[in-house]
Amino acid sequence: MNLVPGEPLLHAKSVSIQFGGLRALTDFNLEIHKGDLKGLIGPNGAGKTTAFNVLTGVYRPTSGDVFVSGNRINGRKPHQINRLGVARTFQNIRLFKELTAIDNVKVACLSESYSVVRRETLDRLERGTSALWFTNALHALNNYVDWWRALLLTPGFLREEAEVTKKAEGLLETMGLLHRRDEEARNLPYGEQRRLEIARALATNPKVLLLDEPAAGMNTREKADLMVLIRELREKFSLGILVIEHDMKLVMGICEHITVLDHGETIAAGGPAEVRTNPKVIEAYLGESFAAAHAAAAGSGA
Amino acid sequence: MESVAAPRFSGVPGWLRGPLPILLSLPILALAQWATAQAPFLVYIASIVGVNVILAVSLNIVNGMTGQFSIGHAGFMAVGAYIAGKFSLETKDVYLPFMQSVAASDQLMFVFALLLGGAVAAVFGFLVGLPSLRLKGDYLAIVTLGFGEIIRVIVQNTEMFGRALGLSGIPQRSSIFMVMFWVFLTILAARRIASSAHGRSLLAIREDEIAAEAMGVNTTAYKVRAFVISAFFAGVAGGLFAHFVGIINPGSFTFVKSMEIVVMIVAGGLGSTTGSIVAAVFLTLLPEALRSIFTQLGGGDQTLAQRVDQIRMPIYGMLLVALMLLRPQGLFGTKEIWDVAPKWLSRRRKGMR
Repeated sequence: MNLVPGEPLLHAKSVSIQFGGLRALTDFNLEIHKGDLKGLIGPNGAGKTTAFNVLTGVYRPTSGDVFVSGNRINGRKPHQINRLGVARTFQNIRLFKELTAIDNVKVACLSESYSVVRRETLDRLERGTSALWFTNALHALNNYVDWWRALLLTPGFLREEAEVTKKAEGLLETMGLLHRRDEEARNLPYGEQRRLEIARALATNPKVLLLDEPAAGMNTREKADLMVLIRELREKFSLGILVIEHDMKLVMGICEHITVLDHGETIAAGGPAEVRTNPKVIEAYLGESFAAAHAAAAGSGA
Repeated sequence: MESVAAPRFSGVPGWLRGPLPILLSLPILALAQWATAQAPFLVYIASIVGVNVILAVSLNIVNGMTGQFSIGHAGFMAVGAYIAGKFSLETKDVYLPFMQSVAASDQLMFVFALLLGGAVAAVFGFLVGLPSLRLKGDYLAIVTLGFGEIIRVIVQNTEMFGRALGLSGIPQRSSIFMVMFWVFLTILAARRIASSAHGRSLLAIREDEIAAEAMGVNTTAYKVRAFVISAFFAGVAGGLFAHFVGIINPGSFTFVKSMEIVVMIVAGGLGSTTGSIVAAVFLTLLPEALRSIFTQLGGGDQTLAQRVDQIRMPIYGMLLVALMLLRPQGLFGTKEIWDVAPKWLSRRRKGMR
């Protein structure tokens, strides 16, 4: 997709979301450009995962807009947003448990088959017109023909299958999972399941990768490996990455920009050093009394 | 499981891999047709088995692969049976001159009737698939159950379809060749879907709908597609059924028939195509086998045979209970027979040492 230079890949513009009387997210702003590595932190129930769900189309924002590469995506389905280049992992691992590792990745590769109308043409149409029914019809036509290709086992279909398998194997190798190729996802150790989820997300050819607590449940060693890996992925796939994380060391270690949420409101945003010393953040995380003590200590120190 | 388009026929050039199984099947089916020409009862039993296999394998696409629980499959079968049967009744005397012989013309009309029945059933599949966008689990099951009953009641009260008496005098154009050919096509389609990107999407929906949606699978569309394909083959099965029994009435397509098919796929293992086949064959033949065993035991004494015949169904039921206790995931679980068989063998080999 041809991108206007300087236009963010993912842009949340004063997004708010309300469930009944509960304001889960208030005036949330975020921009992710190519090569960004941003963090989203906050205490439990602060609205981090809600923010993710708004960005990926699970929830529709009550007010405000979300843009992906300049396309307004309010009200679009998660699979459509995924096709625009936003992939995610889940806080509580959501692998396809009874499928093998490679099949998990191959499921996400499905967007490759465009038998009648080419993908570029569809993308252009989707950007150009507001007639979604027309592009949806073309998608359906593509899919219909593709079913017949699968049923008749055409040479083109076989070639595509081989390409998909190769691509999936490549991704497994990147994530160091190739030796687990034919093992069922549920039999993988916890850390590998987390990595498989990232491999699966990468298979959708994302421009932005959203990681929801990728280090949850990992030991120190695994966390260190993960930090290296996330940085590598950003380079290798030229991604913008947004990480939700509880582990402060990890977030402070890799993120160049951190947004802090509390009760759905953005209480701080900036570089790691800036956020760490922000009194509001300290208060949110450690409580009011600690914040007061911290401030007093800082005052006496000065 | 369904990982790679297996390199089993790797020596075959790409363009031939699609049609090859069909080309191979034709002479075998012709041979079967020739061999069973003198055995009408065998043909009848084989046809019943064939129809049940088609029903089980097609229902497995919705219940097993996609994980949607449909219990109205007899409804689709009824649509196919009535549409195809009515079509054949109306066009009984039509002769297509370009087909050279009356028999050949009849067979072509038969194929057309089957396709028509399947297509109309597929339309109904689309209509039933729509609620599956919003409903899950038990709620969807109730909708499909309701659909099956609605079809039966509508047919029962429609003059055109003979009300409760049903349709009779449908030309018996079915043959073992035609039934087994459709059995083969259904299985082939199910297997090829399972090993394609579309099948993987269906499996992904079964495993985790939210994750599938987030990975770019249009879950709503795929659920409806699964219903459409499943209904098409159920309709064809109904058409075949109508053309070998010759008489159909609403009583053939009750809730009991739907449950029979559900029992088959659950016993075979939800999601396993080969499991559905094995279970469908076994559970269709079992009552017949028990009947002939008891007749043997009775030593030709008809009254004893009849008396023992009454405990046939309890035995059938007990076997199912035993299966569910011993293997709650069904015969093969979600796997296929070739995934499971080597494991059994290797385990036994280890045990021997």
